[in-house]
Amino acid sequence: MQKPVPQNTKDIQPGNSPAGISSGDKWREWCDRHAGSFFIAPAVTLILIFAIFPTIYSMVFALSRVRFTGDGLKFRYVGFRNFAKQFFGSSEMHFLGRTEPVSILGMIIFAVIVVTVLWWLYRSWKTATWVRMLGRSISAAMAIFLGWILCASLLSGNSIGTLYTTLFYVLFGCAVQFAIGTGLAFLCSQPIRGRNFFRVLFFIPLMVTPLGVGFAMRMIADVTKGPFEPILGLLGLQDWVWSASPWSARFVMVICDSWQWIPFIFICMLAALENVPRDHVEAAQVDGASSFHIFRDVTWPQVVPVAVTVLLIRAIEAFKIMDLPNIMTGGGPGSSTESMTLHSVYVWRANDLGSSAAIAYLLLILTVVVCASFFNYVVLSQIRKA
Amino acid sequence: MKDVIVKFDPQNRSLMERLFEPPAIGKMAPFTKVVVYSFLAIWSFFVLFPIYWVIITSFKDAAAVNQGPNFIPFIDFQPTLDAWRINFTADPYCDIASIARQIYLLAHNSVIFVLSPFVSLQPMEPQICKIYLAFTNSVVISIISTIFCVAVGSMAAYALARIQYKPKFGNIMIFVLLILAVTLMTTYSGIPWWMSSAVALALFFFLARSIGRHFKMSLGNGDILFWMISQRILPPIVVVVPLYVMFQAVGLLDTHLALILLYAVANLPIVVWLMHDFFANLPIELEESAQLDGATRFGIFWEIVMPLTRPGLAATTLLILVLNWNEYLFAVFLATVKVQTMPIMVAAKNTGEKGVLWWEMCAVTVVMIIPVIIMSILLTRFISKGVLLGAVKG
Amino acid sequence: MQFRRSLLGLAAGAMALVGTAPLSVAGEFDGVTVNILTRPGYVIAGRLVERGVEFQKATGAKIVVTEVPYAEIFPKIQSDWSTGTNSIDVGVFAAGWGVELDAAGLLEDLDPYIAKDDKIDLDDVAPYFREFGQKVGGKTKLLMVDGDFQMVYYRQDVLEAAGQQPPKTWEDYIDVASKIHGTDMNGDGEGDFGSCIFKKRNAQSYFAIQTFAAPIVQTKGTAQGFHFDSATMKPIINNAGWKKAFELYKETGKYGPPDELNLDIGDTRALFKAGRCGLLVEWGDPGPLQLDDDAAAIKGKLYAISGLGSRMVLNRSTGKLVPAIKSNAPHSVDGINYAPFAAFGGWAGAINKKADQKKKAAAYAFLSYMNQSAQSSVDVTIGATGYNPYRLSQLSSPDLFIEAGMPKELAENYIGAINGALSNLNMASDMKIPGAQSYTSVVLDTELARYLAGEITVDEALENIEEGWEEITEDFGRDEQIAAQALALGS
Repeated sequence: MQKPVPQNTKDIQPGNSPAGISSGDKWREWCDRHAGSFFIAPAVTLILIFAIFPTIYSMVFALSRVRFTGDGLKFRYVGFRNFAKQFFGSSEMHFLGRTEPVSILGMIIFAVIVVTVLWWLYRSWKTATWVRMLGRSISAAMAIFLGWILCASLLSGNSIGTLYTTLFYVLFGCAVQFAIGTGLAFLCSQPIRGRNFFRVLFFIPLMVTPLGVGFAMRMIADVTKGPFEPILGLLGLQDWVWSASPWSARFVMVICDSWQWIPFIFICMLAALENVPRDHVEAAQVDGASSFHIFRDVTWPQVVPVAVTVLLIRAIEAFKIMDLPNIMTGGGPGSSTESMTLHSVYVWRANDLGSSAAIAYLLLILTVVVCASFFNYVVLSQIRKA
Repeated sequence: MKDVIVKFDPQNRSLMERLFEPPAIGKMAPFTKVVVYSFLAIWSFFVLFPIYWVIITSFKDAAAVNQGPNFIPFIDFQPTLDAWRINFTADPYCDIASIARQIYLLAHNSVIFVLSPFVSLQPMEPQICKIYLAFTNSVVISIISTIFCVAVGSMAAYALARIQYKPKFGNIMIFVLLILAVTLMTTYSGIPWWMSSAVALALFFFLARSIGRHFKMSLGNGDILFWMISQRILPPIVVVVPLYVMFQAVGLLDTHLALILLYAVANLPIVVWLMHDFFANLPIELEESAQLDGATRFGIFWEIVMPLTRPGLAATTLLILVLNWNEYLFAVFLATVKVQTMPIMVAAKNTGEKGVLWWEMCAVTVVMIIPVIIMSILLTRFISKGVLLGAVKG
Repeated sequence: MQFRRSLLGLAAGAMALVGTAPLSVAGEFDGVTVNILTRPGYVIAGRLVERGVEFQKATGAKIVVTEVPYAEIFPKIQSDWSTGTNSIDVGVFAAGWGVELDAAGLLEDLDPYIAKDDKIDLDDVAPYFREFGQKVGGKTKLLMVDGDFQMVYYRQDVLEAAGQQPPKTWEDYIDVASKIHGTDMNGDGEGDFGSCIFKKRNAQSYFAIQTFAAPIVQTKGTAQGFHFDSATMKPIINNAGWKKAFELYKETGKYGPPDELNLDIGDTRALFKAGRCGLLVEWGDPGPLQLDDDAAAIKGKLYAISGLGSRMVLNRSTGKLVPAIKSNAPHSVDGINYAPFAAFGGWAGAINKKADQKKKAAAYAFLSYMNQSAQSSVDVTIGATGYNPYRLSQLSSPDLFIEAGMPKELAENYIGAINGALSNLNMASDMKIPGAQSYTSVVLDTELARYLAGEITVDEALENIEEGWEEITEDFGRDEQIAAQALALGS
């Protein structure tokens, strides 16, 4: 007969000490009863003081014009001017990219996106609670906004701004890193010798200081003095400079970022693949299934929960990218490799603290909505399936 | 079934079959082996090459760098110790006496810090060769902040795993509104921050008792856990400027304490997330029996639970140590003169009026990344035991 | 228990050590530490460190030099001094940036110190630098350590070999560059570059564009300025003159290194020292820099021109370009209007007003030490220091540079070029009003970089700059800016 496991562990009292309760014991008892608070208080306090409060304070910055005077900072309330500047004002091209003229292709694709999103929203109207609907509306609004910017800028042949550069790093980068990382993990999960050696080796780039990675990559990518010079010469590309054209600069950024982050995906996926029970796989092999079918039907469904979680974590970190573009190109030719964090730093350097805070907030909103949407619609559903 | 067995007949296999099909279940065909190993070899090369390049460039001189890529020491170029010499011995105050003095001051400051953390520390002899100052700062700040972070995070994680919390939603809303009020008051009126905070705190307790009681809806452990872990989504850029202003208001700018606290908070979510998983997976019976024997919560935590999670704890500590060592953004904003850390040092080498001095920069970069490489090798040994993966799955 | 006891013992022992601080040389500023913030690298900062050691031996004050990335110098100093953090005592930065700091009352007035100082010789400082570099609002607030002008350099041997004359205008520059681009200028068998200009964003590119624009837009003397209309502070940027400058600037890229957009001043210096550049836009440094050991390929071959001119100038009322004649360009010579650009104004040191008195005294003494002839005249001949001549004694005769190793003809050419610029009545001044940094290194630099990268057209760039500049002017207050501009240009 098992002892009933107490649900509310706070109810367990320490036993009475045999010699009666002295004041020292009373103090210890009081501490112990409030142990719950004491244990969690430091963490909560730290987060409140150093994360929550500055975030709210930052909003005040974003809504003000901040100036350094002889006695310190002076705030002047200006409403949403700093935000408006990013969307409609002098910073629009820098932030959003050029959004006109919109081509026919852009219009068509935008229409497709709007219809899809609205249909999805309509479909959930009937089955969801109002809280859920609110969440979905936010996701839908963000999707439509991002779709509009995409269609008006990139698909219409115009240049993109820091918003989409950041999204490019996140979406394209994560996709590439996930593909290669999982591929490597799959290779390593085969019956090979030296798996631990590869695991150790492949893990190293993840821990190298991002700044160091930036410098190493800058040196290596240098076309005149770097190690690729002979290869480029052979290919007849001596005069090509990756840092002179926006898209090649962005691609090089993604490549270098992948060098650092593929290990993360690799490690997690390898562990997940290792946890797939060998006997399932071997039974399928005995049945004569090809490796492709085994992967698709046996292995993959078991690792999907881990896969989407890993993608989510990677995406969260990817939004914050800053060191690499800063070191390698200083924001790229013009401003093409600037991520939003970098944009915010450069604006800070220009002593416009209000705009800097506004851009930082926009990044926060973007990150939260995109990651929360991904979490709710993809990760949770996969975890529930498993 | 019979066909299948014939397929795996080891005796009569054609050359194609020998090459392309596995000889047995659980083994690979030779062709597959070649493919797999070559991919892995290629990737290993990609991983090691940049690190190799950085290390050999630190042993090159100007000519060897500028005249095109030189790949192999002693064959393509003559390695020299120039870069190392310039960085570590050429500046004034890079001599043994200054370094010894620096170590003495480090010990002195540690003692004082332990005895009374708010007494301002004696300046760490900033006239020492900057690279040594940056290195010691990095070491000190990383280690102390890691210990602090893991301690606070483990306690919180343990509490969230074992104790039920029911914070009331109403109280939380009141708290947030009061923070907003404090912010606005401090910014736009002249009321000093400590006064408005004290008033707000008092107001909070009063309101919580009176109004907050009426809101029954409360959150649970899962929500608190989610809140803590989701702090990781916060891009640091959002908080650096307010933190600069906050630290300046209390005079803690450019001090070790500021960076230690900040690094601890930045990595707290990771600690909570990982340690919560370990604690939740421990069997509760041990703790229950200890409680029945009269142990206090803290006693159980310290003497029973922590030793059980030693591998996880070690892995987490190493991970946080590496992350703290690499931290750059906070240091840039908050450190001016005395508390410069290694990443800032390396970043400052990014420009130079003789062209970026790649070789000098590589020497400093090597010093910056060799410790983390060593730590990451140690860390992988823990990961290979599957220690950290439970958290990812959950 | 045992452990705790030994820990206490250790602590006690350590505390005892505290008392025994090592003795230092007794001096006037014993125990004072002066914190200086400046740009990274050996340039500028290195000399401060080395002279700091000498200074400490003489007076006991410790000089600590901290380096931050160039783009962060101004924000860091401004936030440090205005919030009262005071971790920095002295800032060494562009003389023009001092105006904004002074407007906030952050700079220490140096006149009282100068009055008591018998070693400093301010009359020796060239008038332009003394009045416009060191003084703000009539009072001395900064001390120069370096004087800055942008000049054009050419490889005499390369131009001779190609049968080209040194260029007089920017069109000539491009013409010459196109003819020498691709030839081998340093004997290594590889084709080299006609023109090398540091076009990287967030670096020094925004100075070079002003060197291009000044002779087109400014014709009537320094007081006219070429950024704003002095009466209304309306930007004079969105016009045919600046447009021509932008287009010329972009065109030089055809004859330059392929990754010119990613080169900052350090990279271009490495290039020309290796002998790979035929024409350069640079400050005064290449003159002495060609004497360095690693510049053997160009030693004695790099000649200077004080500034290129323009045959077409801007008519401000019609907004069109017209040929330069005496009536609209009184300072023009042979139909070419010259306007040497005093880019950057020169590195100068300023002292934090809120630092404590002893530190300020020590800081002043150190800045004075750096400024004095005895030190300065040595520093400006060493190219690596980044200090360029600014004192009359350094500029009156080429002897100083001949002693340093320059061939006679080259030294005469170099000094002549600098003097020519300093004495030119149409010399173009760098911005010296509040917000100077924002106007140039932020707005102008960003739009220029985006134009060069092909993200926007030249018209859009100029429009954006105009809009950005108006925003900044409104922000600081138009009337204040008008007054500040009047002060800055000495009109």
